[in-house]
Amino acid sequence: MTILSQTALQEIDEIRQNYPTARAALLPALYVAQREFGWLSPEAYAAVSDLLGVPPAIARGVGTFYAMYKNKPMGRHVVQLCTNVSCMILGAEKLVDFLKNKYGLEPGGTTVDNRFSLVIMECIGACGTAPAMLVNDDFYENLTEKYIEEILGKYQ
Amino acid sequence: MANVLLKNIENPNSADISEYKKVGGYTSLQKVLGKDPKSIIDEVKKAGLRGRGGAGFPVAMKWTFASADPKFPKYLLCNADEGEPGTFKDRPILEKNPHVLIEGMVISGYALGSEYGFIYLRGEYPAAKDILNKAIKQAYADNLLGDNILNKGVKFHLAVHQGAGAYICGEETALIESLEGDKGQPRIKPPFPVNVGVFAKPTVVNNVETLSNLPYIIEIGGEAYAKIGSADCPGPKIYCVSGHIEHPGVYELPMGTTLKDIIYTHCGGIKGGKKLKAVIPGGISTPVLPPDKIDCPMDFVNMPKHGSMLGSGAVIVMDESVCLVKVCHRALKFFEHESCGKCTPCREGTGWLRSILGRIEKGEGASGDIDLLLSIAANMVGKTFCPLGDGAASVVQNFIKHFRPEFEEHISAKACPNR
Amino acid sequence: MITITINNKEIKLEKAVTVLEAARSAGIKIPTLCYHEQLEKYGGCRLCLVEVEKMPRLQTACTLMVTDGMIVRTETEAIADVRRGILEFLLINHPLDCPYCDKAGECELQDLVEKYGPTTGRFKEKKRKVTENLQDPVIVRNMERCVMCTRCTRMCEGVQGASAIGVVSRGGHSHVEPFSGNRYDCEYCGNCVSVCPVGAIMSRLHRHSYRPWQVKENIETVCPYCGVGCTVVAQVRDDVIKRLVPKIGSPVNNGMLCSRGRFGYEFVGHGDRLTTPLIRKNGVFEVATWEEAIGLVAQRLGEIKDKNGSGAVAGIASPRCTNEDNYVFQKFMRVTLGTNNIDSTARMGYAGAQSFIENIFGQGATGNIISGLSNSDAVLVVGGDPTTVNPILGLQIRACSRRGGSILTVGHLPGFQHFSPLELNPGLNHETQLFEHILEHIVGELVSRKVLPGSNPLLEAKIKTVQADVAEMMKEPAISEKDFAGFIEKLAGAATPAVVIGKELIQSSGGGYKLFLICAITYLINGRIYLLSDHANEQGVLDMGCAPDLLPGYRPLSYAEFRKRYETAWKTTLSDKPGLNIFEMIDAAGNGALKALYVMGENPVFNLPDAKTVEAALRKLEFLVVQDIFMTETAQQADVVLPALSWGEKYGTFTNMERRIQRVRKTVDREGMEDWRIIAEVSKHMSQRMQYADAGAVFEEITRVSPLHRDLTYDEIAEGHTIYPYKGEPLRGATAEIKIEKGSSYPDGPLLLGVARPLFHSGTLSRKSPALLKIYPEAVVRINPATAAPLSIADGDIVRVTSSAGSLELPAVIDKHVEKQVVLIPNIFEGKGALSLIAIALDPVLKAPVLDSTPVTLERVGKVSA
Ligand SMILES: Cc1cc2nc3c(=O)[nH]c(=O)nc-3n(C[C@H](O)[C@H](O)[C@H](O)COP(=O)(O)O)c2cc1C
Ligand code: SF4
Ligand code: FES
Repeated sequence: MTILSQTALQEIDEIRQNYPTARAALLPALYVAQREFGWLSPEAYAAVSDLLGVPPAIARGVGTFYAMYKNKPMGRHVVQLCTNVSCMILGAEKLVDFLKNKYGLEPGGTTVDNRFSLVIMECIGACGTAPAMLVNDDFYENLTEKYIEEILGKYQ
Repeated sequence: MANVLLKNIENPNSADISEYKKVGGYTSLQKVLGKDPKSIIDEVKKAGLRGRGGAGFPVAMKWTFASADPKFPKYLLCNADEGEPGTFKDRPILEKNPHVLIEGMVISGYALGSEYGFIYLRGEYPAAKDILNKAIKQAYADNLLGDNILNKGVKFHLAVHQGAGAYICGEETALIESLEGDKGQPRIKPPFPVNVGVFAKPTVVNNVETLSNLPYIIEIGGEAYAKIGSADCPGPKIYCVSGHIEHPGVYELPMGTTLKDIIYTHCGGIKGGKKLKAVIPGGISTPVLPPDKIDCPMDFVNMPKHGSMLGSGAVIVMDESVCLVKVCHRALKFFEHESCGKCTPCREGTGWLRSILGRIEKGEGASGDIDLLLSIAANMVGKTFCPLGDGAASVVQNFIKHFRPEFEEHISAKACPNR
Repeated sequence: MITITINNKEIKLEKAVTVLEAARSAGIKIPTLCYHEQLEKYGGCRLCLVEVEKMPRLQTACTLMVTDGMIVRTETEAIADVRRGILEFLLINHPLDCPYCDKAGECELQDLVEKYGPTTGRFKEKKRKVTENLQDPVIVRNMERCVMCTRCTRMCEGVQGASAIGVVSRGGHSHVEPFSGNRYDCEYCGNCVSVCPVGAIMSRLHRHSYRPWQVKENIETVCPYCGVGCTVVAQVRDDVIKRLVPKIGSPVNNGMLCSRGRFGYEFVGHGDRLTTPLIRKNGVFEVATWEEAIGLVAQRLGEIKDKNGSGAVAGIASPRCTNEDNYVFQKFMRVTLGTNNIDSTARMGYAGAQSFIENIFGQGATGNIISGLSNSDAVLVVGGDPTTVNPILGLQIRACSRRGGSILTVGHLPGFQHFSPLELNPGLNHETQLFEHILEHIVGELVSRKVLPGSNPLLEAKIKTVQADVAEMMKEPAISEKDFAGFIEKLAGAATPAVVIGKELIQSSGGGYKLFLICAITYLINGRIYLLSDHANEQGVLDMGCAPDLLPGYRPLSYAEFRKRYETAWKTTLSDKPGLNIFEMIDAAGNGALKALYVMGENPVFNLPDAKTVEAALRKLEFLVVQDIFMTETAQQADVVLPALSWGEKYGTFTNMERRIQRVRKTVDREGMEDWRIIAEVSKHMSQRMQYADAGAVFEEITRVSPLHRDLTYDEIAEGHTIYPYKGEPLRGATAEIKIEKGSSYPDGPLLLGVARPLFHSGTLSRKSPALLKIYPEAVVRINPATAAPLSIADGDIVRVTSSAGSLELPAVIDKHVEKQVVLIPNIFEGKGALSLIAIALDPVLKAPVLDSTPVTLERVGKVSA
């Protein structure tokens, strides 16, 4: 009765083999479910919970503990901008303003056309090339306003 | 000194196993399999290798505990959570030289009697995940991982476990909880992971950089290794330098290179020739230093004597334009965000500190706020469950210790003087 | 021996404990908040920090184990500062609403702040604001007050094993929530309520009507619901039970309760309680005086006995009534009325199964200690879900899994779904073959090692006759070889196995034969048997001799020497003719042989199969007396209705399934008589004096008459540690012939009706408990999605369920946990009981009704309103 796709089920099953307990596959399984649904909806938790025998409330506890799991629907592309100290002192805050002014994209928010969501990140390990961000799974470094425009153009 | 850990990284294909082998990769593993595992631990002991994850714990000692525990299986976990703000030293290893880590892990696993390894990789490094998985596949294909490695009857399996955005998972017991599919909240110690770790089995957790040193130690021998850099904590060290610096980036230098040398000799000094205002030497949790305190050898033994810590070796350089109240506030925002919530002082204290700092930064501070900050910090230090909370409090203490006038100015001027 | 010093006081300890435990044992108080003796160590609140010599940092007393020579200080200036600091942190987000908060007076935070806390607050920022959550009918959440000690979630996950609530989010944003975020949808054990130190999670039942200091009395008694017999403490104000709480350290439930026990007490003061005797005159009930009613009962019973003989009168006793009630009742039947026509609904399975098992293994074979289950390395569960029938016993099985033991189940039991059970699910049709196959394999294992136990040749001879039809068993739903092998390995390899047998097996088609197979398996693996029991005094009603063939203390009526003892004690002569069992009574009433029936605390119209037949039979009686606390379906048919005091209003004893004899104590005062007293009054009117001053006097007689209870006193059983036979002697009779008869088989093809046994209800008592009704308000029919889909039945649709005995219209609940072949209906709600659809058919060996092979058809008659 699960609503996960066949590919997802298979993937989770393979992941499961890496670990001595089903429970250990929870984090990776939540990633898979998130990829499928775009976020961790109650149905997504229930599906993962069923699959791994982890009680849903526990799965949800875990899924809300970690910043990279999304517990509300997201836009098509997730802009994840670092504002930690190294990025901040090199201008990340101005970039936040830029995103707000140019795209109407607020921290934690989603554009009206559902194209982008913005997540403010803690350090993403790109301090030497700050400021930096991830768009979905892609790294972008040495950001400027102009460069951001160019990058976001690629994501429709 | 030539790069050891970051060897070959200029090569665009450095992550490929054949390129790694071209520069001598996996010969240490060849050399070591079949030897008495104890002798490897001895070699590491001679090398004086200390963990690069932040605490500088002697590696051989941890390994001895774990290998002495009779329980099986044993697990070797590579800490690739690299969450300490300012730190990006493990990332080049993971992305550009993954095989040095894999080779290091197989050697370590063999030394420990461990047949299963996991790389706990932070969720924010999706590229590294793909690169590592590819490298692991290659290693399996070349019989460098598996049930009968190099046909020497040695078994070691390795998989990547992706974290999901929680700084606390860098702490080893939180990491273990997270690997088990739980929230990353630290565990009570004792029992220590070397006895009761992941899946209740003996477990060694070591940092990426730490494990990546293994092939080199085997290659040149512990004694030769011990001669590199600082006497008490030898070896090569990756420093990562960011902020207002001419040439930011990663630098593999002998352990104990001074902070001043790192900034001025290796990194070309302060960006745009501006004046240095403050340096955070080892990632955001380590005490900030004013410009007159930077002539200190960057290692685990000497930094504490100079009022700070080596931490992850993440140097954040700040020039005169920076508002330190703002930096301190941002740091506390980080700690508040990352507090796991398990213990009272950290969960409640970080937020309180952050909100007072926010007030001061905005020019809404009240007289007495600085003492209040210090008093709250004092109520945290030494009372939290794990070092995260201590770190948060000590950040506040050290910013105030070195830069109190700037805080006072914010309060008296009811505004940020740097604006 | 470990010696440590705390605050200069030397403390000697037998074994390593935590510093906190050591301190407590020496009377030294260390403040704590996240610590709770029922829960795993946590060390989060940091209130218990102490100084330990030679340790660089302060240490949490609740987690640090003592070592020899340790020197600890708990009351230094520095420590006082730490406590003040921690409490200040805790108060940052805690509202100062004590005057309004129901927890005030028993709030641990309030007490701590009073004792150690800061006097003024330095926190000037905005406090966290969270509105009280009233989405749930019985539990209110006020997360503003939460101090994140996680006691509730550790209780829910680690002890109760429900994992219904969890900490959501992290750091300062962490808060406790059920999965839905609103309503709990959980087992409603309320054990989170017990452990919450502040007013964050509380019961709604006594909201704003209860203050701890207004409680006049804490009365320890036994839960009225199931056969586990949990200790409960009733907190009473103005003759109303305000709440029931568990007690840590009590032998059966050690601080735990289930939903029925905790929230099901409101029936006691319910407005529907019968208040006066009623006499039917010209077809309608009229209020009568006790004098009239008792006089009439005595007169009519006397007349019928005189006219038709003792055999024309019968009595039905009650597994909800006390031992004292039941003892007096059977004595009344035997002595005053001269008949052995006495039985109870224990005949629905418990009685037959118990005597079958005892015949093989000896008396007391099912009386094993419940808490011992958690120490087993394997628990085999058959015949239903213990986590709903006997919830606290279920917890012990969960604990067994948590400690590394295996849970082996036949059939799918949702209560264990998160405890990695090894589950074999052959479907109803192939259950017998599966048991045979298991038996064969275990015999195989043992024979290959040449170690058949040999202690029971009679049983072993029977075992050798068993042959399994493996091909049959492996049919739909298929059981894989691998699963089967894994199951056998755990079962045969267990060192301390336990076997838990539920009524669904006993009341199944071929139940007697299946029970034989289970007994044989148990014998071979050397397991302990637990026989689930769904009524508080189901064991006791049998012990007291409320059975047509047994005298108090389980002495068979058929032996003259035994009879003699009772005859002497009761100064009478006893009929040696076994009486009618409960089903025979219905038959006899139906065919006119039985003229009068006295029903005490039971509702046969509802609680026996085939309501129509039972009703028709009762209608034929010349005289029906029903003595109860509510106007039940059966009472409605009575000629005389006598109102009795309920569980909460009287003294007495219950005997649980372990055979632990426990005190039931009066919690509130109510006008009226106990069941036993009413009976004694009737007897007196029939010139057979039964003179007891109080329940204690009845018990005193029991201890003289029943060999199992010999010499017990209320004092001795006060703490609940008495398990019989205590001073008396057990009856370890030699095994008589072991009867094997396969019984009926399942009809092929159609949907079958099953009796649902919801956690939240017991029937008569629970359906008058508003809180339980809020959790589970009405009868529903549960249907597997695969069964529902082709019939176009959706969740909430009204479905007509029809059997040969009748039909019911009920809302549907689509539930993947239900077998495809079965639809489940509970037997709880008036007019909507599952048993009403089942015709009476008894197992040839156990003489228990078969309840699982009634074909039914489903038809959607109403759509869910969108
Ligand atoms: C809050 C906290 C965060 C930490 N983060 C990391 C980390 O990101 N990477 C790491 O290697 N060690 C981290 N550590 C240190 C680990 O707990 C552990 O000491 C280390 O992984 C051991 O490896 P090593 O001996 O090789 O350094 C952290 C410790 C704490 C208390
Ligand atoms: S100090 Fe306490 S709340 Fe903070 S991260 Fe460590 S355990 Fe969690
Ligand atoms: S009681 Fe010890 S930390 Fe809470």
